[in-house]
Amino acid sequence: MLAYLDHHATTPCDPAVVAAMAPWWSEHCANPANRLYRPALEAAAAVERARGQLARVLGSSAETVIFTSGATEANNLALKGVCEAALAAGNLRRRLVSLVSEHRAVLDPLAYLGRHGFPVSLVPIQPDGLVDLAQLEAALGDDVLLLSVMAANNEIGVLQPLAAIAALCRQRGVLLHVDAAQAAGHIPLAIDELGIDLLSLSGHKFYGPKGIGALLVRPGLQLAAQLHGGGQQDGRRAGTLPVPLVVGLGQALLGAEADREERAGRLGTLRDQLWEGLRDLGGIELNGDGAPRLAHNLNVTVQGVDGTRLHRLLRQRLAVSSGSACSQGSPSHVLAALGRSRQQAAASIRFGLGRGSSDAEITLAIETVAAAVRELR
Amino acid sequence: MGHSGSEVPALASYFDTSATTPTATEVLEAMALAQATAWANPSSLHAPGLEAAEQLERSRLSLAEGLGCELDELVVTSGGTEAIHLALLGAAAGLTPGRLVISAVEHPATLAAAAQLEQRGWSVQTVPVDRQGLLDFDALAGLLVPPTRLVSVIWGQNEVGSLQPIEAIGARCRRAGVLLHVDAVQVLGHLPITFRQLPIDFLSGAAHKLQGPRGVGLLLVRRGLALQAQLGGGGQEGGRRGGTEPVVLLSGFAKALELSCATPSLAPLRDSLLPRLLTLPGVRLSGPPPGDSRLPHHLSLLVASEAGLPLSGRNLVRELSRQGFALSSGSACSSSGSAASPVLRALGYSESDAASGLRISLGPWHRAADLDALVQALQMALAASVASDHLLTA
Repeated sequence: MLAYLDHHATTPCDPAVVAAMAPWWSEHCANPANRLYRPALEAAAAVERARGQLARVLGSSAETVIFTSGATEANNLALKGVCEAALAAGNLRRRLVSLVSEHRAVLDPLAYLGRHGFPVSLVPIQPDGLVDLAQLEAALGDDVLLLSVMAANNEIGVLQPLAAIAALCRQRGVLLHVDAAQAAGHIPLAIDELGIDLLSLSGHKFYGPKGIGALLVRPGLQLAAQLHGGGQQDGRRAGTLPVPLVVGLGQALLGAEADREERAGRLGTLRDQLWEGLRDLGGIELNGDGAPRLAHNLNVTVQGVDGTRLHRLLRQRLAVSSGSACSQGSPSHVLAALGRSRQQAAASIRFGLGRGSSDAEITLAIETVAAAVRELR
Repeated sequence: MGHSGSEVPALASYFDTSATTPTATEVLEAMALAQATAWANPSSLHAPGLEAAEQLERSRLSLAEGLGCELDELVVTSGGTEAIHLALLGAAAGLTPGRLVISAVEHPATLAAAAQLEQRGWSVQTVPVDRQGLLDFDALAGLLVPPTRLVSVIWGQNEVGSLQPIEAIGARCRRAGVLLHVDAVQVLGHLPITFRQLPIDFLSGAAHKLQGPRGVGLLLVRRGLALQAQLGGGGQEGGRRGGTEPVVLLSGFAKALELSCATPSLAPLRDSLLPRLLTLPGVRLSGPPPGDSRLPHHLSLLVASEAGLPLSGRNLVRELSRQGFALSSGSACSSSGSAASPVLRALGYSESDAASGLRISLGPWHRAADLDALVQALQMALAASVASDHLLTA
């Protein structure tokens, strides 16, 4: 038996999502950009339905939804799109602010913008993984154009105080981009209520397909398109819309919303069992201690063991990771920001529970870690 | 449209494969298998991740083999538009701003990427095409001098079907030390491509034009050439394109290319259709005649009344739609905009002629009887168009 406990890396596609996509691959194959014949209109209607589904679940309106190929594209579009539009409008604000613990899909485009006239400030995080609001406020000076903050961290699962952050941004006249790749479908998000200007998400993080995501953009916000060409999506993102994936994304978010509370309750209980079991082994520390976090996340550092050997042993029975899948084993900048050494970061385990997680898997996880720790210490 | 009916055109009456194609059953099967066995994140180091990575690698190998390129020359994208942007913007980022040369019949995606480069200090020069949509080779050759650093040419034109002499163009670009990007979105799956034998630096394609899934495409990048990622973050695709790889979609793409390689050319079927269309009053061909200079599955027509006054291509498409037939009056991407096709204008047609285009693109499922039905439907639609006074002022 192998327990898949890596749902932050990706989630299996919900069978209901696969079924919802099915008719759109071939039977209704028309290109929704064509307005002149019926199947194309039906495809366009399906796209609009999916827009409405996303908007409803996320507390916004349908016209805010731009479909992208995933969260990486959505983040790139948000950050570069805002900067280019600001430049074109002669906006004097140039500084971009974010947190040291962001995903590379935010940090990399920020670094790119940093080389192109948009200075970047990265605010540190506290030992619990959360940003200090006073420190953040101090960073939001008059020259700040945009703040990018992830709703839930992909490694340690901590939830940044979005409402307070959004309020700060409003006070300071700063645009707020939220990377919700790990949060959408897992915690309630109310875009309009919170006053979020831009929000990115990715289908495969909430039981949807890979290759599709979205950026939700507050109406009226100036955003320069990054993919131009066919005029699709009101010129905000060109490219033939992948109708099956769009339909799948809408269905996935609806499905995730439908069982969100029940799932969070159940997985939170399992996660707590897991933590109790691991804590009892001794020499195991929680990362993101005390902070509000995703119910399905647990991240621990195992003291006194070699990380490479630890993960080699775990891998036989557990699908877990030491950090972001994208980093492919290089040391985690998030754990480093919490003050963990390279060795400690390598000997850390990220657990991401999911719909399929069971008592038996949690028991297996505790036993497997226990056995590995016994062998290595 | 005001038409209330519930008929959805069956595949047999779908003649718009240049816009998009239905995903093939075998492709769906390949995707379902990948969905079941390779759903994990291919960057993950655990067993499910490794399985996904292996499936991803198998798809890459299959695509590379089908396209005659090296594995590391293949960059997966979300489709043709992204591939074109990545090629032009990504290549230009490593060059001193200079001149980009494009043909007068490029897809809007290329025009848009070119406009982006203009904002970054590049100049863009357009090479005219002849009445058939074929590029003025001498004009191009004359432009292959400094400050030209980049050329982008659409290999198979989506509206008028013209195939540019890519090898000759590439050879000239090579000699001049100028990089060449080829938009092969319409060619992929219809003509064999062996990238390593072509004097091309960048080649873009999209799966959904060859019965693969929408949402995935590719850019081939000649080994050793610098390409700056346009989507930063995650380091996938050798640092050239961030984002979790869509393993399932790529499995479908690989299968679609494999199928297309085993499918006989649609040229004979297309060739049997053309003379019958040309017997209809007021119908003439635009773009090159069938042969080496035309996409094998593609026909483009100009329609007029018997008196020779151009008819609205869009209205004709609507008429045909009422009869259950799916065709296009030009490119799907521009069908929401103005009536006159910029591509037909570039071929030298008048404003009203340029609004009278009709595109017929075939799929491997079409049989002779389907063509009979199409000819009949077109005949009726033409009559209806004339009767309902869709005449354009010349």
